[in-house]
Amino acid sequence: MAQRTGILSEGARRVWRYQRLLWWFFFTNLALAAFGTLPVSTALGRVADHSLYSQRLYQGFSLSAFWELAGNPEVALWSRLSGSLLFALIFLVLALFLTGGILETYRANPKPVTGDFFQACGAFFWRWVRLLIFLLIVLAPITIAASGITAWSDMLSQDAPQEKLGSWVEVAGMLCATLLMMAVRLWFDMAQVHTVGEDERSMRRAVARCFGLTFRNFGSLFWIYFRISLLAWLGLAAAVLIWLRVPAQRVGLSFVVLEIALLWWMGTRLWQRASETVWYERHSPAVMTPLPAPEVFVPPVPAPSPEGTI
Amino acid sequence: MTRHSAVCWLAATPVFILWWFSAIPAHAAPAPDTVVATKPLSEWIVAYQIDARVDPRRKTINASEILTYRNLTGRPQDTFPFHLYLNAFQPDSTFTREYRRDNPWFVWRGKNYASAEVTRFEVAGMGDLTSQIRFIAPDDENPDDRTVFQVRLPRPIPPGESVQFKMAFHDQLGEVLSRTGYKRSFIMGAQWFPKVGVWWQGAWNCHQFHADTEFFADFGTYDVRLTLPQNEIVGASGEEVSNENHADGTKTVSFHADDIHDFAWTADPSFRVFTDYFTGSAGMVKIRLLTPPGHVPLAARNIAILKETMKRFDQWYGPYPYKQITLVDPPHGAWEAGGMEYPTLITGLSFWWMPRGWHSLEEVVSHEFGHQYWYGMVATNEFEDAWLDEGINSYTEVKVMDDIYGQDRSDTDLWGMREGERSFLRQKYLRSADKDPLTRFAYQYMDGRSYDDITYGKSAMVLLTLEKIIGEATLQRALRTYFLRYRFTHPTREDFLKTVEEVSGRDLRWYFDQAVYGAQVLDYEILNARSEPVDWPVQHALEAGPETLYRTTVLIHRKGDFLFPVDLLLKFDNGEQVREHWDGRDRWVRYSYDKKARLVSAQIDPGQAVWLDRNFYNNSYVVAPMPGTRRKVSSYWLVFTQFLGQWLAWLV
Repeated sequence: MAQRTGILSEGARRVWRYQRLLWWFFFTNLALAAFGTLPVSTALGRVADHSLYSQRLYQGFSLSAFWELAGNPEVALWSRLSGSLLFALIFLVLALFLTGGILETYRANPKPVTGDFFQACGAFFWRWVRLLIFLLIVLAPITIAASGITAWSDMLSQDAPQEKLGSWVEVAGMLCATLLMMAVRLWFDMAQVHTVGEDERSMRRAVARCFGLTFRNFGSLFWIYFRISLLAWLGLAAAVLIWLRVPAQRVGLSFVVLEIALLWWMGTRLWQRASETVWYERHSPAVMTPLPAPEVFVPPVPAPSPEGTI
Repeated sequence: MTRHSAVCWLAATPVFILWWFSAIPAHAAPAPDTVVATKPLSEWIVAYQIDARVDPRRKTINASEILTYRNLTGRPQDTFPFHLYLNAFQPDSTFTREYRRDNPWFVWRGKNYASAEVTRFEVAGMGDLTSQIRFIAPDDENPDDRTVFQVRLPRPIPPGESVQFKMAFHDQLGEVLSRTGYKRSFIMGAQWFPKVGVWWQGAWNCHQFHADTEFFADFGTYDVRLTLPQNEIVGASGEEVSNENHADGTKTVSFHADDIHDFAWTADPSFRVFTDYFTGSAGMVKIRLLTPPGHVPLAARNIAILKETMKRFDQWYGPYPYKQITLVDPPHGAWEAGGMEYPTLITGLSFWWMPRGWHSLEEVVSHEFGHQYWYGMVATNEFEDAWLDEGINSYTEVKVMDDIYGQDRSDTDLWGMREGERSFLRQKYLRSADKDPLTRFAYQYMDGRSYDDITYGKSAMVLLTLEKIIGEATLQRALRTYFLRYRFTHPTREDFLKTVEEVSGRDLRWYFDQAVYGAQVLDYEILNARSEPVDWPVQHALEAGPETLYRTTVLIHRKGDFLFPVDLLLKFDNGEQVREHWDGRDRWVRYSYDKKARLVSAQIDPGQAVWLDRNFYNNSYVVAPMPGTRRKVSSYWLVFTQFLGQWLAWLV
């Protein structure tokens, strides 16, 4: 039956079916960010809660009131960025941990039990760490190239006879860099799906195999990845447009709109994962098999001795 | 200057040139008759006649200059200093040293090299004195700085007499840096000719070119002939009086200007020219906009803000007496030439993508036009009192921009974000509030940032706060009086301060000593404000009824060392309001009231008119917390942190 449905819709169906994963992932992200925000909120309260001047930020968004608040020594907003970064890094580690379980869930039929989920999380964690290192190595030249394009476009903005040339080069360069990064991400996503599907232990082998797999089927795979990415960006843009129309004092509503945007952003990423898994199931050279069931220790039962024997 | 006189001048030019370079001694001659105008607005001390040949390919200028100087110093003068500003753009100059000191990322690039060399220096009646040229460095004794030279004459020029200096000079322009130079086909010819210093306060005032200094010169007349390729579109100070094509593919464009103290020009074959007119109390003014092709869509914005600004300056401060104002919008990459003022010529600053809600384009044009008053006509010493031109001009820019766009959005009104021009300048002030007094010489500030923050930001805050003391209308009258009284002269800081005192009828020394001459910081805070039942030992606040008597105490603390009278507004929950006035001299004051009402809020400076106050957040205390702002900013921070986490998780 799954073969008859489209890959995207089957991916969406799995995300919906296992939506608990999305909610957990989202609330974990929210909880960690809340920890990162707590000191900021406390400091803001000390300065702003009893000040009439702070109303300029509440009743609208006065940039000068914000800069003054951010620069206030009691708030020192910019020095608190490190706290946010720390919790974002914790979320990164958590995502590393959870990815194995998520892919196993999207792959397995029937739905794995909680124990299987966490077993997969633990089983793949260090493999994902190794994969991350490979990914960073591959992304490094792209990042360097992107920096080079920025420097070049800056130079063109200064020196080229056509004023807009630098800007267009920047836009085109960033577009190329983004597409390249998406392609690399897709490649490594497939390596992850392959690793889970085949219980691959060598990440180097997984990366090498999936390089061929991904780029032999680049059109269909990238089309899946790109369409979902496009929807993610469009959803984000729509959310920002709505958010801009939220009255300044509707803090709760504004927060909800932004959270929906983040939830959508996260959901589309899981959708990509699920769709890639579906694609792999349908196109992989090897038959995907579930992880072997954990060995259950069964105490040996002594064989009944034949009566009458000694 | 009439067209007829310009033609006469042109006809006479070859004769002059031959005459300069002949070894025939000549007597000190009066100013050429071509500079005769109907009624000078200023005291003409100098008359410059410059004939320049511009080579846009080599970026060079070869020119001859006759400077007629009237000795109105009241004493014989035998030593004359001259600026050669272009020599600042050399690796060992004082300008470059200071620039590098403040900007460690700055790397010297060969294409920024520029130079000005006086190849011949004669004095009419005294012969060739080229060998007498001596470079001096009066400010820092840097032997490698060649931005000021002086010449000692064989005999002094008696008081009231004139002397004619005849020079030939060669300029090599560098890629545009700090206002002048070239970028591709664009040339900004600023500070490009040898310019005599100013005899001021009993001495020659001729500072070197520093990283953070501007200019100072005497009023007079300028007749400038620029010879360059025929495809060049030229704009310059003053008015164009002739334009003559030559057989060799070049043309000579002549300009004349009276009552100005500097002359700048620009040329670029790709310029698009827009013309408009403004009619003010002194008659019609021609507006000439030179803009690169990519900025044509911004031309209407440039002209509109210029006209709006001219209208307000005309109404508020006085007439613009010149017949033309030229606005140059530098092309991309030539931003170092942008946002600069010269007499009757200003440069704007724009980018092709500028959204309408971001008023940076308008700010720059409005600011630079303001300099026609505060610098152009009221020609203060920019080396020594930069705040008198940049500061007063920043203040008047705030007034103009606020009047056009509204106080809370005159800087930015974009995507729900708003900022007023005064708040923008206040951010500058807050960065450097205690670093330097306004009266520091421009090149003696702690660093470039302090110079920028204090001369522009703090000065504007000082004048905005002065509005609270003497009133906005009085300050406007004082500025008008100052302008009308001191236009076409070189007033001092005391001239300005005394004018404000005179017009307001107030002794403001207590304020000027701190705000202008000092670097004290102004910060008053409400340290504590609360109400509690008078018989609190027996009655808990929650049990209180309408007849309960409360004791309200408010404690105000002076955190800074700037003494300023404080207005306090107290609001009670029965609607009653109490106003207090404290002289602000002691370190703190406590107010206490017994009322059958509880305090709602206490606020220092309720009209928020003391813009020098360093912290607006601690100026008020609302008893019941208002968590809206905290929640709002915290929610943004939370979302930002979540997004950061999700973005990083993309790597996994």
